[in-house]
Amino acid sequence: MKTLLKKIYDWVDERVEIQGLVEYMGKKYVPVHPHSIWYYFGGVSLFLFIIQVVTGILLLLYYKSGEELAFESINFIMSKVQFGWLIRSIHSWTANLFILSAMIHMFSVYFEKAYRKPREITWVTGMLMFFLLLGFGFSGYLLPWNELAFFATKVGTDIAGVVPVIGKPLLIFLRSGEEVTGATLSRFFGFHVAVLPGIFTVFLAIHLLLVQRQGMSEPLHISSKSERKTMPFFPNFILRDLTLWLLVLNLLAILAVFFPWELGKKADPFAPAPAGIKPEWYFLYMFQTLKYIPGKLWFLDGEVLGILLFGIAGLLWTVVPFWDHKSARGEQNRFVNYLGIFAVLYIIIFTIIGWLA
Amino acid sequence: MKIASLVFILTLLVMIVPCDNAAAQDKCLECHQNSGDKPSELFTHDVHYTKGISCAGCHGGNSGTDDMEQAMDKKAGFIGVPKGDDISKACAVCHASSEKMKSFGSSMPTNQWENLQTSVHAKLTLGGKEHIAQCTTCHNAHGIVSVKNPSSPVYPLNVVKTCTRCHANAAFMRSYNPSLSVDQLEKYRTSVHGMRNAKGDAKTAECASCHGSHEIRSAKDIKSKVYVSNIPGTCSTCHSNADYMKAYKIPADQYEKYSRSVHGIALLQNHDLGAPACNGCHGNHGAAPPGVESISKVCGTCHALNAELFSSSPHKKAFDERHLPECETCHGNHEIIAATDKLLGITPEAVCSRCHGERQNAKGYLVAKSMRGWIDSLDSEEQRVISMVNDAEQKGMEISEAKFKLKDVRQARLQSRTMVHAFNEEKFIEVIGNGLKTTAFIAEESNTAIHEYFFRRIGLVISTFILTILAVSVYLYVRRLERNQRRRDHENSHI
Repeated sequence: MKTLLKKIYDWVDERVEIQGLVEYMGKKYVPVHPHSIWYYFGGVSLFLFIIQVVTGILLLLYYKSGEELAFESINFIMSKVQFGWLIRSIHSWTANLFILSAMIHMFSVYFEKAYRKPREITWVTGMLMFFLLLGFGFSGYLLPWNELAFFATKVGTDIAGVVPVIGKPLLIFLRSGEEVTGATLSRFFGFHVAVLPGIFTVFLAIHLLLVQRQGMSEPLHISSKSERKTMPFFPNFILRDLTLWLLVLNLLAILAVFFPWELGKKADPFAPAPAGIKPEWYFLYMFQTLKYIPGKLWFLDGEVLGILLFGIAGLLWTVVPFWDHKSARGEQNRFVNYLGIFAVLYIIIFTIIGWLA
Repeated sequence: MKIASLVFILTLLVMIVPCDNAAAQDKCLECHQNSGDKPSELFTHDVHYTKGISCAGCHGGNSGTDDMEQAMDKKAGFIGVPKGDDISKACAVCHASSEKMKSFGSSMPTNQWENLQTSVHAKLTLGGKEHIAQCTTCHNAHGIVSVKNPSSPVYPLNVVKTCTRCHANAAFMRSYNPSLSVDQLEKYRTSVHGMRNAKGDAKTAECASCHGSHEIRSAKDIKSKVYVSNIPGTCSTCHSNADYMKAYKIPADQYEKYSRSVHGIALLQNHDLGAPACNGCHGNHGAAPPGVESISKVCGTCHALNAELFSSSPHKKAFDERHLPECETCHGNHEIIAATDKLLGITPEAVCSRCHGERQNAKGYLVAKSMRGWIDSLDSEEQRVISMVNDAEQKGMEISEAKFKLKDVRQARLQSRTMVHAFNEEKFIEVIGNGLKTTAFIAEESNTAIHEYFFRRIGLVISTFILTILAVSVYLYVRRLERNQRRRDHENSHI
């Protein structure tokens, strides 16, 4: 068996010269310290992305976009297609775990100040991927064309519509018209399976390339070389990653079997919105905030102000490597820490309030 | 306009002074009688005249003088002949005042004016200046007599004629309510009520008995006495009064029975306005009990398919020969209860067994037994698949198609109940067969879903086992690898 594998390896190496890459990976080391655990969330996010791609392609084999077909095709997948229920449930659960894992990854990088020079581009591409991920979630949510998705999309695009200046054209662009219709569904389907994955893959390639090229960042407090411990990236870190991937895969299987993703009722554009319409949990803190902002603040519309504030906050967060000069100099920046803690607490508290409301 | 009306009413209030001698000293009446004036002649028979009310009571002026200028002096409140709504207002001066009515020794109600304002007759005329009907429209102007007086136009035997002066006039009615028929009188004369009324029975129902008098509302008005859900109550005013009905030798328990019936529950409790009230079967203006042969036509108005199947069934001829009322024989009349499968078959509560026995009419007995068996098996199959679908649903399985098909089973069951009326075993089994085919499909789908449920759990256990073994193996491999690496590093550091 070993000889056979060696033969295959040699055959491939002879043609594409992978020995160099293996040697490079063998020389690549991952820092080992009490916070090393956070490194794994990048790998978990990547694994969940791969699952999304695979299950998404499988769903594409049966999914039919269109007002009259979308709901029925998902219903068909769930009830008639062999293991269709499993694929769809895993796709839906993975979407949520992916965002959760990406959020943990983002905050861990933020608190470890791993974005500091020379990793600014890695951070920015990561943030852009995170925004794309939210786009994946938003566009994918509508695809089953069920009641909740329909009204959540209506509310979501309404919010996008109040953005100053570009709001109205943005709303028309997102909905492919004034209202959420079959045309919106087709558009979201296009975003979900072609536009977003295409852009995401480019950013992901840059992100991974930079991670490989620059290696893992070490926390600021590990300064002396004598304190530094490392482990080889290959095979040690990869195999540890693999262990975690297997556990995540098992978790997904358990979720899919015990909590299969519900399909709900088919969307009826003429029916009144059901009570208590809420967006997905990752948008809930923003949605809840907008509810608390008064209708009018000074001369500004409350909703517009909220969206502007979230927009500015998101922008500042994305460009943190460019204004956090202290961390870049290797100094502790307490303001950044407090800001991060505030952001985490804010998201958690408002998500819980929104969930319970 | 309002001020003018107020001045008019106040003037009348001043004018009308209860005085026994007022009529006797009525100089207006004296002169008008001498001139052969017809209204003054009629007025001497008027109930108001007997109460001492003079001409000035309604027309104003001074009836105590024979000087025409003084008598008809506007300063003395003379208004001449009241026009339009002023007519009813003139009547209401006394008839809306309990004190004035008491002063005349009358205990009549004083809400006629108020009721008239809420009635359908309070709509404006085409000219838009006055209401359609004034008091005098029905009661006349001069010669008004008590409603109990047979010469009154509103005496029970005369009401119909009074109402139809307008309501049988197609040209007149077209102006106000073109969709309202004008043949009520014609129909009424064919009804039991109408025929008795024509014979001089003042106790039987006439227009006002059902529609009310001053407060008449449109039949579409929920407050109307003839609004669909109010009809049973209106009819029961007389028909539930045992003493009142005694003379006619008819029972007085119809309302009680109807209230318990499937129709009564639908209309009175569930407010289903499509359910028949008394008039649904008996007619309204032409109200009469349906004849034996016409019962299936009456019921068939709503239960069309059942009636059609029955008419072409072998029972039609048999019932006609025996003079059995068609639907009523099995379902009853006023107290029709919801038809269940128990009505079919040979058990004591089944209606078939009333005529068909093991020895008497044995063929029908066997068919009834067989049909009941079939419908019972569909019933039990339906219950079985419902519980299977529920079970699969509770297990979280996607079973919407099978669940949707349950409607088809219910439909087949209802269809089979209708098909009973054909009394044709072959056709009946065909319908039941369709239902049973559907239940078989649902059972298969539910079983697949339930098996799938267990398959998923077993699959999860196996995959969890494999993934755990893999994860543990990889972890142990990494640990061993790292141990070897540390040993190698240790050895290298010593070299």
